[in-house]
Amino acid sequence: MTDNARAEAVVLRGVSKFFGTFQALKNINLTVREGERIVVCGPSGSGKSTMIRCINRLEAHQEGSIHVLGTELGDDLKNIDAIRREVGMVFQQFNLFPHLTVLENCTLAPRLVLRMSEADAEKEAMRYLERVRIPEQAAKYPGQLSGGQQQRVAIARALCMTPRIMLFDEPTSALDPEMISEVLDVMVELANSGMTMICVTHEMGFARKVADRMVFMAEGEIVESNDPKSFFEQPKSERTKQFLSQILSH
Amino acid sequence: MSALAASTARYRHGMEPFATVLVRRMFATWHDAAISIVCLAFVIWLLPKLIGWAFLDAVWSAPNATPCIGGAGACWAVITARWRLIIFGLYPFDQHWRSGLACLAVVVVVVLSCVPALWRPVRLSLLWLGGFLTFYFLMRGGVFGLSLVGTERWGGMALTLFIFTAVAVLGMPMAIILALGRQSELPAIRWLAGLLIDTVRALPLLTVLFTAAVILPFALPDWLIGDKLYRVIYAFALFFACAQAEIIRGGLQAIHAGQLEAAKALGLGYWHRTWHIVLPQAFRNSLPATINQFVITFKETSIVIIIGFFEVLASGHAAYGTGDWTSAYAEVYVFIALIYFAFVFSLSRYGAHLEKRMRLGHD
Amino acid sequence: MMELTALLRSGRFRGWLYQTAVVSVACLILISFVVTARHNLVAQGITTGFDFLQRSTGWDIPFALISYTINDPYWRVFLIGFANTIFVGTLGLIFATLFGTFIGIARVARNPLLNALGTVYVEIFRNVPLILQGLLWYAILTRLPSPRQAISIWDSIFITNRGLYIPFVAMSHGTFLFIASVFVLAGFAIALLPRLAGIGTSRSGFRRLVRTALLTAAAIAVAAVIGARDPQAGLITIPMLKGLRFEGGLRVTPEFTALFVAIVCFGSAYVAEIVRGGLLSVNRGQLEAAGALGLRPFHVYWYVRIPLALRAIVPPMGNQFVWLMKATTIGIAFGFSDLFMITSTAINQSGQTIEILFIMMSGFLLINYVISTAMNALNRSIALKGYETKGT
Ligand SMILES: Nc1ncnc2c1ncn2[C@@H]1O[C@H](COP(=O)(O)OP(=O)(O)OP(=O)(O)O)[C@@H](O)[C@H]1O
Ligand SMILES: [Mg+2]
Repeated sequence: MTDNARAEAVVLRGVSKFFGTFQALKNINLTVREGERIVVCGPSGSGKSTMIRCINRLEAHQEGSIHVLGTELGDDLKNIDAIRREVGMVFQQFNLFPHLTVLENCTLAPRLVLRMSEADAEKEAMRYLERVRIPEQAAKYPGQLSGGQQQRVAIARALCMTPRIMLFDEPTSALDPEMISEVLDVMVELANSGMTMICVTHEMGFARKVADRMVFMAEGEIVESNDPKSFFEQPKSERTKQFLSQILSH
Repeated sequence: MSALAASTARYRHGMEPFATVLVRRMFATWHDAAISIVCLAFVIWLLPKLIGWAFLDAVWSAPNATPCIGGAGACWAVITARWRLIIFGLYPFDQHWRSGLACLAVVVVVVLSCVPALWRPVRLSLLWLGGFLTFYFLMRGGVFGLSLVGTERWGGMALTLFIFTAVAVLGMPMAIILALGRQSELPAIRWLAGLLIDTVRALPLLTVLFTAAVILPFALPDWLIGDKLYRVIYAFALFFACAQAEIIRGGLQAIHAGQLEAAKALGLGYWHRTWHIVLPQAFRNSLPATINQFVITFKETSIVIIIGFFEVLASGHAAYGTGDWTSAYAEVYVFIALIYFAFVFSLSRYGAHLEKRMRLGHD
Repeated sequence: MMELTALLRSGRFRGWLYQTAVVSVACLILISFVVTARHNLVAQGITTGFDFLQRSTGWDIPFALISYTINDPYWRVFLIGFANTIFVGTLGLIFATLFGTFIGIARVARNPLLNALGTVYVEIFRNVPLILQGLLWYAILTRLPSPRQAISIWDSIFITNRGLYIPFVAMSHGTFLFIASVFVLAGFAIALLPRLAGIGTSRSGFRRLVRTALLTAAAIAVAAVIGARDPQAGLITIPMLKGLRFEGGLRVTPEFTALFVAIVCFGSAYVAEIVRGGLLSVNRGQLEAAGALGLRPFHVYWYVRIPLALRAIVPPMGNQFVWLMKATTIGIAFGFSDLFMITSTAINQSGQTIEILFIMMSGFLLINYVISTAMNALNRSIALKGYETKGT
């Protein structure tokens, strides 16, 4: 199957985003097809987080259009709800709900949003907790887990909504080095299962292993977008070369 | 680590008798010694007088005040003779057990509220609503074969507790709404809630209650005027709500922004986010301050005496003001003060304990 | 049809809808209040408007700082009420702060006896309602001996059930109060303005400036007192028993004393807790560092612990001040004529409900505003440079 035959999952056309007078995104064009795995990288402050937060409307864009799974994302509340149901997100700071147990964290949204019964929601949740390899922690509170475990719970929580697209915003940057691989392993597995993924990360090993396409951003613009092999071996722009040399030098 | 250090320190102190440590600390330096001597002199001067007045020379029971006259001690006889008036006011004498049970229900509710297992919005709401309704129907009667007793005959401690619970039950939801309004994304709502909260908070409670009791009838259509007691309770609840709203707002602001983002990303709508994610956390964050606010509110209920209600202070006045007990005013005040003290002291101790526990991060 | 559903689903439109709904309901309630109130007042033959402020009241005030007769107009009565509230509140705050600071320090002292006494004091006065304390003091004060059996101290201070009589400078209360408040305000202005304006960075130079200024102000005040006194009387009058009552000196009414003492006792217990919290909030390391530099314990307290503790003390203290100032209204329970008592009497007597309510609320809003502005300014001026909390 060629890439173009697959349906478009996320389409950004001419998207611009302003914080007051500061322009964080400048005319972004990006198409992600279903099943595609995109890794976004770029220097700090380049607008990576802003871009993926626009995709589930945690930030509102001002210019251009965003379509997710064929639905336009705008001021329409119904559309926003529909899209958020189909898009899962994993944050740098985990953002687990500290007053709920791991299991409750995972079952809350399916019960309230998808109106699943408690028993069904718990069964599903346990399935995903097993998939991220921490079923034994289900009764604990987030504060009692290590960072790596928390992040895996966060992934399971997002998966419990059976999303069709997953967004990752630097999921491993807040982790101690020895915990990074346990989270990346889960992500690799997820990628191999065919999930559409947009990951902001600086884990270049992970990128080489799973990415279908690399997107490099700087100063609110997409500077370069290419398959991993060409991206790492023959970067086109000076800016990319410089960034890669910094990040790969150690 | 710190617990270990503390326990070894305690162990080391345990080696010598507590009294020795105490005396050594009292006379550590010459000015410590000077201070200790002055304090000791004060205590030695005051304590015998106090004990003499309150216990040794006191008259504990007497049919009238005659045995107290000219005595050097307290006339506790006024309490033994009039305690029912102080606690139950003008409630029908043979129905006092109902009033007593009702007060007990409130005490039970307050004690149960201190159990962490019940710190869920739904559970606490049910507990307080249940307590309030129990109190109300026990006092008012008219059901289960209890005779009807109108609110105009409620009085004493029971009326104080009624006002307190009614204010808490009504005021808490109002406080939550006001706090959410003040944090709203919609500017007009934010501004309106802020205006109301800031204005009411700048006014003395008494002026708010006075307005509701005396002035509001002018501004309300006849069918809305209702009973003065309920007007005052609504106004008191509004006052409580505005203070409590600021406390809840503090709890809201302490919630990490990521919590809301995660909830949004999961597709939860505004009310789901608020009820399941925001409020439980805000409630926990603001718990010590909330207990403090309850303590203040309980003390402030005494102010309704000025608006003309027969609460515990007023029934105290009646207890020493009529008959021949007029000289025993201090004993009555001390008795009422002790009731307040028992309640307020234990609640504020609990609040302080909780605050310490939260600061140490045991939660 | 399509467009309507699209409109209803638009977030911006919903926002407008909610806001319009809430604001119009609020306006509707307010307007219906005013219309009904007007209607009822007109039915009673009361004309609305502020003309009544010029009418004479026809009733007396038990406690007035400036001279007053029953022929004086309403605006003067409100002024007196306002002045009374400020007077008892300010005096109460000053003494509660001084006393409370002392007890707060006692509460963190190493001396166990001092510590225990402070704790007992705080727990007793904090856990009993203010109004109960006021009523108790008032009951005690009004059961003191009558003037003829007055308890006298050095034959110049007399304690009676009609009040406390003390020697006083021979001038009208109004004049004295005016001079005193000018003096106090001048003192505050001199002490605070240069700091707020950022001048006077050198500490010792600043101190010398304050000291000279205060001494000058004090000298002017003394000169004013001597100059403005009643030339017939001496400089100071001493109360003396004439028949059934005292003449001369200053009579402090039991109502004032009861309210004042209650405010000081209750307030100082709260102030003590705030001070204690502030002192405990100072990092031990800083105190140890000061001790390691060879500073004596008193100097560690004065130059390190207290200045650092102030940062934690000032904000809650501001709230406490506002609370205490508002709490002076309980004086009505035993007849102290503060702003609240006077306005509620005025409503009774004149029927000008809405206008007087407006005056009363403005009075309290003003007091509140002044205290919080002053405390905020103080807070900003003592904030540690470079550690200001950034707004989010
Ligand atoms: N809420 C906001 N208000 C104002 N400016 C913002 C806001 N959020 C982000 N910005 C600005 O937008 C720009 C892009 O921010 P963004 O968080 O998208 O960067 P990033 O590429 O994710 O960086 P990092 O690698 O540090 O996470 C930055 O310059 C940032 O300062
Ligand atoms: Mg980022």
